[in-house]
Amino acid sequence: MSKLMSPRAAAATLVVLSGLTGSAVVSTAATATADSESRTSASGRVKNVIYLVGDGMGRTHVTAARQRYHGADGRLVMETLPSTGQVATYAVNESSGQPGAADFSPNYVTDSASSATAWASGVKTYNAALGVDAKGKTVPTLMELAKDKGYRTGNVSTAEVTDATPAGQMSHALARGCQGPSYSAASCQNAEVTGSAVPTSDVRVTPIADQIARNGTADVILGGGLARFDAADEAALRGQGYTVLGSPASQTVATKDDLAAARSGKVFGLFNKGNLTIEKYKRENPTSVQAKEPALPNMTARAISLLSSKARGAKGFYLQVEGALIDKRSHANDAAQALEETKAFDDAVKVALDFAKRDRNTMVIVTADHECAGFNIIEKGTYTNAEALTPPANVDSGNSANNSTPGRPTAGAKDPARSSGPVNGAGSADPKNFAPATFRTPDDPAGVRDGTEDASLWLSYLSGNHTGADVPIFSYGAGSKGLEGSIDNTDLFDVVGRALRVTG
Amino acid sequence: MRHRVRQLTVLGIVLVALATGLATAALNGVGNREADGPADTRNRVVRTSAEPTGARTSLPGLVPARGEPDLPGLVTVRPASGAVARLAGPFDDRFRLSRLDYASGRVSGVLTVTSDVSELLELQVLAGFYDGDGRLLGTGRFVHHLDGHHEHAGADPHAIERFAIVAPRRIQPRAVSAAVGVPVLVNE
Repeated sequence: MSKLMSPRAAAATLVVLSGLTGSAVVSTAATATADSESRTSASGRVKNVIYLVGDGMGRTHVTAARQRYHGADGRLVMETLPSTGQVATYAVNESSGQPGAADFSPNYVTDSASSATAWASGVKTYNAALGVDAKGKTVPTLMELAKDKGYRTGNVSTAEVTDATPAGQMSHALARGCQGPSYSAASCQNAEVTGSAVPTSDVRVTPIADQIARNGTADVILGGGLARFDAADEAALRGQGYTVLGSPASQTVATKDDLAAARSGKVFGLFNKGNLTIEKYKRENPTSVQAKEPALPNMTARAISLLSSKARGAKGFYLQVEGALIDKRSHANDAAQALEETKAFDDAVKVALDFAKRDRNTMVIVTADHECAGFNIIEKGTYTNAEALTPPANVDSGNSANNSTPGRPTAGAKDPARSSGPVNGAGSADPKNFAPATFRTPDDPAGVRDGTEDASLWLSYLSGNHTGADVPIFSYGAGSKGLEGSIDNTDLFDVVGRALRVTG
Repeated sequence: MRHRVRQLTVLGIVLVALATGLATAALNGVGNREADGPADTRNRVVRTSAEPTGARTSLPGLVPARGEPDLPGLVTVRPASGAVARLAGPFDDRFRLSRLDYASGRVSGVLTVTSDVSELLELQVLAGFYDGDGRLLGTGRFVHHLDGHHEHAGADPHAIERFAIVAPRRIQPRAVSAAVGVPVLVNE
């Protein structure tokens, strides 16, 4: 997997390149970056890694959020990180070999489980697999390796913590649907990979909630999914020394006040029985139960505080943070909330970056697991719908050299082999549901409102699911040069593993 | 969408044997496994093949599942003849049941997932069948499983599943009512 230079060579290179890096970013970040890299390069490693994942966050999500909240000339915080690149995210099919093997069988569009396994364990696997390769073999995760090496570990998400991205660091499952609280054969087994059903004593078919509650992989676990855990899980967590916020036994959700009061080094806090709540609802309903949930930046700050206070004088920490609702709202083609969740994610990036600048011994990585929904920024009034009943012809009768291959020979007829038609969810028969979402930006004159033709930011979707597009990556700190240019998502395992010295 | 929909049956006599354990299970424990118990009764979940270095495959104190999940109310509910009772489960705030109907050893209905849905990964509807005295005779299950080769459900905010579960043939002559609940639900 690794196409990277040795850690020693990378460190030497970083010294040479640090000045070049600084010139490419805003001045404050540039200064901190140079300081950080020169200091950490001397030891060839970093003490801490904060890995932030915008689930489903493609390049357009970043650009659109920038324009929406900061205008065309602005920058998201993640865009100020000095090292940038793009990440290939493809998965493989069940029982595939790894890239280069004779039985290698790629699947161009990944899901969150396969992608999480790629960066957490350094292997390509099939969609739905967690912590196992495509042949079903259990593979260790970076968080497990970091924990074993004496690092403090944390896992934060706005999804259920049994969902694919957080689970990719703290479980091994043949099927991501095996979340708990109960085992069922359909949700946990995959006989196509294992040949036959494996015993329920096999960790790979053990509900993910049961694994998380007992394997001690993460010291700090914050997110949603309380309904996946039960009284026995709570007892197991307390038995390992966790401070459990709220109660799985009584299904009492934790609150942001509980989190603020937490003092223990090991904390388990779930703030919703399912996924956490979008920021818009909490903002507009400040007295609601959901408004008591902490926002992603709050959870990130608290996790860093809990991990770093214990880490002083110790080895350091490894923290994963997921902005999950970017993906979930993108599946729903809900541009307004996808952008607002991207903004909340970027606020979490700021928390991490501010810490890294102060600490000067921390690597910050910001990326995504995959793009979601074919999000795009279009020119005003140019919207065409690929799923329309009467799609435009993609042939040029005046110049056949412009024709697509394969071409759609005639206009006005849906190609059933390539399109599921206009059906894209409830309300699909209503043409206005396919209109682009429009948003005002700081560049618009006062009085321009969201949803009007005058708004300058026009957004459209291609589908309701993931796409195979590469995703952006931004990074800061020693070792981040290895994340520049075009990389594969399995390379993240190598880079982070080397930065923390937990892999060969 | 390629998914497998199956109906599974479990012998009623086995359920009766499990009744004591189920009755003591916590509501959200959804008792297909025991709570962590005394050390001398504990098993360990371990991977059957050699453990790779670093992977955490041993889960001290966890008793492996013994089979398909049940719901605590299965053995305590007493549905009236011809009625369909509801069994409480861990995900009752994520779906709505409607058009529940029981006739001739067959229970049917419509389940609408009301929480945020981009795709419905896993669903199991558990049905218990009861005699005229309200005694549990046996169970059946409706299973929705989305495999890794699926086409996506798209942006539908609600996933709707119509289900029908037929009582095992040997208990059909005595079955007069049913109860349904959901022990497994995974959507994203």
